[in-house]
Amino acid sequence: MCLPLFCAPLYCQAQQNKLSVRPPDAMTLKRGGTAVENLRVEVLSGFHVNSDKPKDEFLIPLKLTWAAGPLEAKSITYPKPEEVKVGADLLNVFTGTFNIQTEFKTSGAAQPGNATMTGKLRYQACNNEMCFRPATIEIKVPVVIE
Amino acid sequence: MSLKVLAILAVAAALALCSCSGTSSAANSSAAGQQSADRKAAPDFTLKDANGQTVKLSDYRGKVVLLNFWATWCGPCQLEIPWFMEFEQEFKSKGFEVVGVSMDDDGWKVVKPYIAAHKLNYRILLGDETVSQLYGGLDALPTTFMIARDGKFAFSPHIGLAGKNEYLSEIESLLSTRQSASAQRPVPFVPAAVLRPAVLSSPAE
Repeated sequence: MCLPLFCAPLYCQAQQNKLSVRPPDAMTLKRGGTAVENLRVEVLSGFHVNSDKPKDEFLIPLKLTWAAGPLEAKSITYPKPEEVKVGADLLNVFTGTFNIQTEFKTSGAAQPGNATMTGKLRYQACNNEMCFRPATIEIKVPVVIE
Repeated sequence: MSLKVLAILAVAAALALCSCSGTSSAANSSAAGQQSADRKAAPDFTLKDANGQTVKLSDYRGKVVLLNFWATWCGPCQLEIPWFMEFEQEFKSKGFEVVGVSMDDDGWKVVKPYIAAHKLNYRILLGDETVSQLYGGLDALPTTFMIARDGKFAFSPHIGLAGKNEYLSEIESLLSTRQSASAQRPVPFVPAAVLRPAVLSSPAE
């Protein structure tokens, strides 16, 4: 009985998502065409997530991956990270609102019509006092192939 | 139930919740004065250490234990680890042990290289979800519990980075109390940092 009482407020804080993704708009492409998807990501104020290339090998990078579908991800571009000092270490992190850009190309087998591209964004968030366990957000992008 | 009784219960619940910050020295001071009967026993668990040895928390009964939940990817945890190494060195002969429980999902393949790289001098166990639930979910790291010689929690838990002096005063306070429980002999521990590199690099989970 005592332990849950001790942990209740922190537990609630931990359960709150430290990162959110704005639902992407639908993409329209012609067969054989390309398009760019800007994924809008927001990190809760006071928190940071590791960049896609953290300086320390033990840190967990932000990583966007796309499942196989009617589109092929040709490249994924992350923003330039910020440097923050935690203790004596300088960390490469993302804070606030930023975009992750994916360049898509329709795969050869893509058929005209509506489809969905599914991706996963893995991240690990901290503030200056504590870190939260790695989490993954699923992303769905509506796609129209003409 | 009368209104008066309800009011008393509400105040008691509010006081309990107010002690949850984990860093309040006022809460800590009051906890230090609690009688053994008022404190909750630290939930026992069985986990493996980096040498593959099975370790139970109850093996440490009779000792003051700093139980630290951490992960290799947790920056604030890295700040505390050198302090814990100092505490282990300074107080081990006085009946104190640091026990680190790693919550890394990737297991020993990331934890063993970390132990070797940072030459950790205290025992590291690999945590699991069962232990996590026993200790309140552990979504935020570091989370550290001070456990008295009787195997019961002492002080409020430290959720997040705490001060070195805060830990020091708690350790010294607990070590100064008379040992009430009969000491048991913990499983002998060889720091993984002194193991051969070949052993450390083995992928065994």
